[in-house]
Amino acid sequence: MSGHRIAAITRRLLQGFRRDRRTLALLFVAPLVILGLLGYMLRNSATSAVGVANQDSGPLGALVASALDGSTKITTTNIAASDGDAKLKDGSIVAYIVFPSDFTQGAQGGVIAPQVHLEGSQPNAAAQALQALQSALATSASNRPGAVRVQPEVTYLYGGPNLDTLDYFGAAAIGLIVFFLVFVVTIVSFLNERSQGTLERLMASPLRRGEIVIGYMIGFTVLALVQSVEVLLFALYVLNVHNAGNVFLIFGIEALMAITAVNLGIFLSMFARTEFQAVQFIPLVIVPQFLLSGILFPVSSEPTWLQYLSNVLPLTYAVNALRDVMVKGADLTWSSLQLDVGVVAAFVLLFVVAGTATLRRRVG
Amino acid sequence: MSEQVAVEVDSVTKEFGVIKALNGVTLRVRRGEIYGLLGPNGAGKTTLIRSIVGLIAPNSGTVTVLGRKLPNLDVLREVGYMTQQAALYPGLSVEENVSFFAAIYGVEGGVKDALEFVDLYTRRGSVVATLSGGMRQRCSLACALVHRPRLLLLDEPTVGVDPQLRVELWEQFRRMAADGTTIIVSSHVMDEAERCQRLGLIQYGRLLAEGSPSEVRAQAGTQNLEEAFLKLAGEKKES
Repeated sequence: MSGHRIAAITRRLLQGFRRDRRTLALLFVAPLVILGLLGYMLRNSATSAVGVANQDSGPLGALVASALDGSTKITTTNIAASDGDAKLKDGSIVAYIVFPSDFTQGAQGGVIAPQVHLEGSQPNAAAQALQALQSALATSASNRPGAVRVQPEVTYLYGGPNLDTLDYFGAAAIGLIVFFLVFVVTIVSFLNERSQGTLERLMASPLRRGEIVIGYMIGFTVLALVQSVEVLLFALYVLNVHNAGNVFLIFGIEALMAITAVNLGIFLSMFARTEFQAVQFIPLVIVPQFLLSGILFPVSSEPTWLQYLSNVLPLTYAVNALRDVMVKGADLTWSSLQLDVGVVAAFVLLFVVAGTATLRRRVG
Repeated sequence: MSEQVAVEVDSVTKEFGVIKALNGVTLRVRRGEIYGLLGPNGAGKTTLIRSIVGLIAPNSGTVTVLGRKLPNLDVLREVGYMTQQAALYPGLSVEENVSFFAAIYGVEGGVKDALEFVDLYTRRGSVVATLSGGMRQRCSLACALVHRPRLLLLDEPTVGVDPQLRVELWEQFRRMAADGTTIIVSSHVMDEAERCQRLGLIQYGRLLAEGSPSEVRAQAGTQNLEEAFLKLAGEKKES
């Protein structure tokens, strides 16, 4: 062991980094961005909106409603029971609770039976609503003597009581996995084309830039489609992820995501000189999308300024589309799905054009 | 422009930031000749070749190739370009590489001919990553000429090639030129320069001298090209 030789290696390493501003930025800026995002999302996230319809002829309904109002887990709004389903569908509330006209009467008879209507596609939000109701009932009913059974009638708009966390995340995960892997493979191999000099050769040939980009796109899309089929079959038939929609529609959305990832990879490879730099796009491009696209936390529960960011990410729309199909059983007649698919398709087009435009300038 | 001129470079200047890679270069290459671009590293040889193949747009001046003014995508069909490093797909076999470039240039056959020409036909199934440097260089040459270009640009094609193979490659270049192909080849090896019909001496992005090897020697009043080059380059520096 020679201290000098070891010191030479250490020094050489740090000298290299001194000129690689990008890697330095990654080391010192990316952690703040990622931790910051996570922090804001976890701490400042908006609570789920729950509608309350009090039809109780007695006093108990109002009592529980005001206890719910004070809950920190949820935000309540007063609604008419007849509007509830429409509000669940448009996503403005995750659940609504109806206190029926005989609510107080029932409680006096020993049974507390509020009606709970859950949107059902978001297990976390549903659990929060139920917990809030539970503690509200405990507070307001604690002064009532005698054995009281709490028997909420729970109904689900989508899914059902058996829908678990995997069903919720699984739908998004199959999209994310395909997006991530296809992106990495594309960016690295397009970069190889540049570093091994073959891109220069292609640019000196009669090939048009668009032909290169589209040729690449089709090649990787073939691979990505095979991968999509594999992932989808595994999720559906081995993991038994809940699926209420059309398998071919899911496949179509996955394919669209794969094509987005291919073109994003081609586009971003223009801004990397080495494979090392290309890999650096993972924390910059993939991780924020993972956090912000609604995979872990619903976009609607994010702080408002983060929602703006989420709304310009392609993954947000793709994840939403996959969940709509698999959890809610959406088909292409749904306007929300049409919007999501349309936006993802627009991203594909944008990246194809951007990739083609940056190609010529960055050859040498 | 005369039918006899394959490439006409007229007052071409190209700047990269503060560096003038080409500084008003004017030269003509005749059809069917082997034209050597001679100069030290960083003289502007590669930049000149890249501007002839349309990869670089000059800041000023014009480049005319086979009678068509650049930029022109169609004329590239008739141009072959061999880059300094053997630009190949390492994961593909020799034949797959050559076939790929044949397809890019829209020619059907010719792969076998090209492979035989560079003496790689028996190794056509070998994956490029497993080849020696010299074989890669030959494979790269096959890719550049598979579409039978009328103009072939070779950027230091014999770097890292052993003397025997270098002689063989030059023999092939001469045969191609005899068949009517125009070849522009860059080099900093003086004995290669002797094999060219005409030479252009480049330094600091300028054309110092032009002519046949004997004309260049006579111009400098020296016995060999190496001395001629050093003398001419030295004079320019002083002036």
